[in-house]
Amino acid sequence: MDFLFTEEQTMLRDSVARYLDKTYDFDARQALLRSGAPHSKAAWQQFAELGVLALPFSEDVGGLGGSVADLVPVAEAFGARLTVEPWAFALTLAGGALAAAGDHAAARRHLADLVSGACIGAFAYDEHRGLAAPAAIALAATPTSDGFVLKGEKRLVFGAAEADFMVVAARATGQAGEARGLVLLLVDPRAPGVALTPFRTQDGRSAAHVRFDGVTVAGAQVLVDDAHDLIVRLIADAILVLAAEAVGAMGALLRITGAYATTRKQFGVAIGSFQAVAHRLADMKIAHAKAYASLMYSTALAEAGRLSARDVSVLKAQVGKLGRSLAEAAVQTHGGVGMTDELAVGHYLKRLLAFETMFGAPDYHFRKIGGSAA
Amino acid sequence: MNIEFGPEFESFRQEVAAFLDTAPTPDIREAGRKTTSVFAPFDQAVAWQKILHARGWAAPAWPKQYGGTGWSVEQRYIFAEECRKRELPPLLPNGLQMVGPMLIDLGTEDQKRRHLPQILSGEAYWTQGYSEPNAGSDLASLQCAAVSDGDDYIINGSKIWTTLAHRANRMFMLVRTDKTGKKQEGITFLLLERTDYPGMDIRPIIGLDGIPEQCEVFFDNVRVPKSGRVGAENDGWSVAKHLLKHERGGSAASPALLHNIARIRAAAAATPSPFGGSLSDDPVFQRDLGELEADILSYRHFEQLAISGHPMLRDAAYPSMNKTMNSELSQRVSIMMTRVSGIETVPLQLEALNVGSNVAPLGDDFDLIAMPYYLNTRATSIYAGTNEVQRDLIARTVLAANR
Repeated sequence: MDFLFTEEQTMLRDSVARYLDKTYDFDARQALLRSGAPHSKAAWQQFAELGVLALPFSEDVGGLGGSVADLVPVAEAFGARLTVEPWAFALTLAGGALAAAGDHAAARRHLADLVSGACIGAFAYDEHRGLAAPAAIALAATPTSDGFVLKGEKRLVFGAAEADFMVVAARATGQAGEARGLVLLLVDPRAPGVALTPFRTQDGRSAAHVRFDGVTVAGAQVLVDDAHDLIVRLIADAILVLAAEAVGAMGALLRITGAYATTRKQFGVAIGSFQAVAHRLADMKIAHAKAYASLMYSTALAEAGRLSARDVSVLKAQVGKLGRSLAEAAVQTHGGVGMTDELAVGHYLKRLLAFETMFGAPDYHFRKIGGSAA
Repeated sequence: MNIEFGPEFESFRQEVAAFLDTAPTPDIREAGRKTTSVFAPFDQAVAWQKILHARGWAAPAWPKQYGGTGWSVEQRYIFAEECRKRELPPLLPNGLQMVGPMLIDLGTEDQKRRHLPQILSGEAYWTQGYSEPNAGSDLASLQCAAVSDGDDYIINGSKIWTTLAHRANRMFMLVRTDKTGKKQEGITFLLLERTDYPGMDIRPIIGLDGIPEQCEVFFDNVRVPKSGRVGAENDGWSVAKHLLKHERGGSAASPALLHNIARIRAAAAATPSPFGGSLSDDPVFQRDLGELEADILSYRHFEQLAISGHPMLRDAAYPSMNKTMNSELSQRVSIMMTRVSGIETVPLQLEALNVGSNVAPLGDDFDLIAMPYYLNTRATSIYAGTNEVQRDLIARTVLAANR
C-alpha cells in the first residue's frame, strides 16, 4: 500500500503551483474579481498548455489518458489558492458526460475543444435548494416526435454564462424520486428559450440559474439515455476533485492561521501562547489531518476503481463538516480582521461552505452511512 | 497510489483466521466480550498470550531476533483486524507494547536477556510506575526518590495509577535521583524485578466501574539493585519519552471502534423506537450513528496512511494526533452505546462481569458492558498525557512552522 502521488503527478502539481504563485496570488485574484471578468482567460489557456484540461480524457480526443484521480494533486494546489475558474465542473461533469457519449459526433467535437482550452462546458444539474442525489431531478424533458422540449429551471450552473455548450440532466419519464427516466442532453446555451440569470458566487466563481422555457432539443442531442447511474458516477468524480480543492484550502488556511497566531500579540504575548487559542489550532490541525487522510484514501480507491457510494458519502460529509469547523476556527482566531473582505481568511471560509452545500449536505450523507452497514 | 494489500496478504489472512477460529478457549472468548477498557480481564488475557506465544504470535511488532513475528505493518494490521472481528481480548499492553520495545531499543544485553523472554511468554507482567499524587500531566515534577547505596538504590515515596499492580510481578518506574537541577534532569528509569520487595505496599483503587484496575504503591526504604537501571542515572526522562512514543502511537485502533459500531447497529435493530419501528430505522439515530462512523472511517484512513509509511509520520504531532483522535472517538462510541442501551445501563452488575461467573447478565452482553465501558473510557483522554497536554503539543507544531 502507498498513498503517494507519482513523480508525474507531482511534477504537474508543482508546475501548476509555480504558475499560480507567479500570477494568481490573493491580490491578483481580488483584482480579477473587481474587474468583473468571470474568470481569468489567461489562466485557462495556461491550464490547457500545462495539460490540466487534457488529463482525464482519452488520447483520441487529445487527452492524456489519465483518470479523475490524476486531478486530485492539482486540485489541491488550485484550492490552496482559491482559483475561480470552473475547471473542476467543466472536466468532471460536463466533460465526463461528453466522454460517456462515446462516438456522438458533437460530443467528440466539444470534448476536443474542451481539452485544447478552446471552449468551456457547463453541467446543469442542481434544482431548487439543491439535489442530494440525481433521482430527485425534476426538470422535464418532454419527449416529442423528434426530440424533447425542456421546461423548468436549473440552479447554480457553474460557468454557464461563459459556456459554449451545456449538458442538462433532465427527466424524460417518471417523476422526481425515481432513478429511471433520466437523460443527459447537449444544449446550446444560446438556444431560443434558454434564459440565464448570471451571478457571482459567495466564493468568487461565476455561475447562473438557467430557465428553460419550452426549449426544443433534437433527438440527436441526447448524450446518454437512462443516465441515472452515469450521473451518480460523474458526481462522485466531481466530489473527489472538489474535496481535493477543499482540502487544499483547509491546508492553506491552517498555515495562514498558525502564522497569524505566532505573530499577532495581545496582552504583550503572541496569541498562540494562550491555551484556548492553541487548542483551537490543534483542533484545526486534527480536522485537516482527518480530511486529508480521507481524501488520499478515497483517491487510491478511485484509482483502483473501488470507490463505493458509501466511500463517496464519507468523503463528502467529512470534508464538508471538517472544512466548516476549520474555517470557522480560522475566522475566530483572526478576530476582527478575520471579518474583513481584505483578508483571504473569510474567502476560504466561503469556498468551504459552498463545497459543504453541494451534492448533498453532511446530514444527508451521515444519515445514508448510519442507515446501512458497510 | 496503491490501495491493494496484494494477494500474498489474502493467504496470510486465511492462516490467521484459521488459527483464531480454533485456538482461543471459551473462557478467553468470554473475556473478550467482557472487556470494558484497554485492559482485558487479567487471567484470560495472560492465558491467551501463552497460546499465541506457543504459535510465535505474542508480539507482532517485535523484531524477529527477539521473538517477534517479523510481520510487515500490513500483516500486523490484518492480525489486529481479525482478532477484533472475533472479539478476542487484547493482550495486556505494558510489557509487550511498552517495556519490551523500549528494552530492544535502549536496554543492555543483560537486561534484554533477562526480561524479553518472560515478557513474551506472559510470565512477567509489568506495571507502570510513573504518576504520583502530585505528578500527573506534569510528570517531570515527580518526587518518589531513589538514593544510591553501593550496588542498590533505596526508594521512598509513592506511585499512583499503577495499572493492575496488584496482579503484576514486575514494575518499571521513574524515580528522582537529583533534586538540584532542572526537574527533567534528575530522573532515573528503573526496572523492578519483583513487586514484593520489603517495604513495598500495593493498595488497589476501586474505579468508577466498581472494579479495582488501578493501584497506589507505597515505598518505604525499598532496596532494589542498580542493575535494573535503564540508561544513565538522571537520564530517565529521555528513556520515558522514548517509551511514550510506543504508548501514544502506532496502534491499530480503528478495527475495534468499527467493531463497536457494528455492535451498536445490531443492538439498535433490536430496540424499539418510540416513533414506531426499530431504533435503527429512526432518521435521527441514523444521522448520529453515521456522523460517528464517518469520523471513525476518517481515523481509519489516517491509520492506513500511517501503516503505509506516509510522510505524515514524520510530523512531530503525529503521536499526539493519533492519541487524541483515538481516545475521543472511543468516548463518543461509548456514549452511543449507553444511548442505545438506555435503562439497561442502570443496574450494577459486578458479578456478571466476571469471566466464568455463574451470575447471568440481566440483559444481553451489550447491555452488560455499555456502562462500564463508558465509565472506563473517560480515562482515555486522561492517561498517557491528558488530551489538553496533547493539544498543547499539536498546537506547538502549528506555531513552530512559523517561527
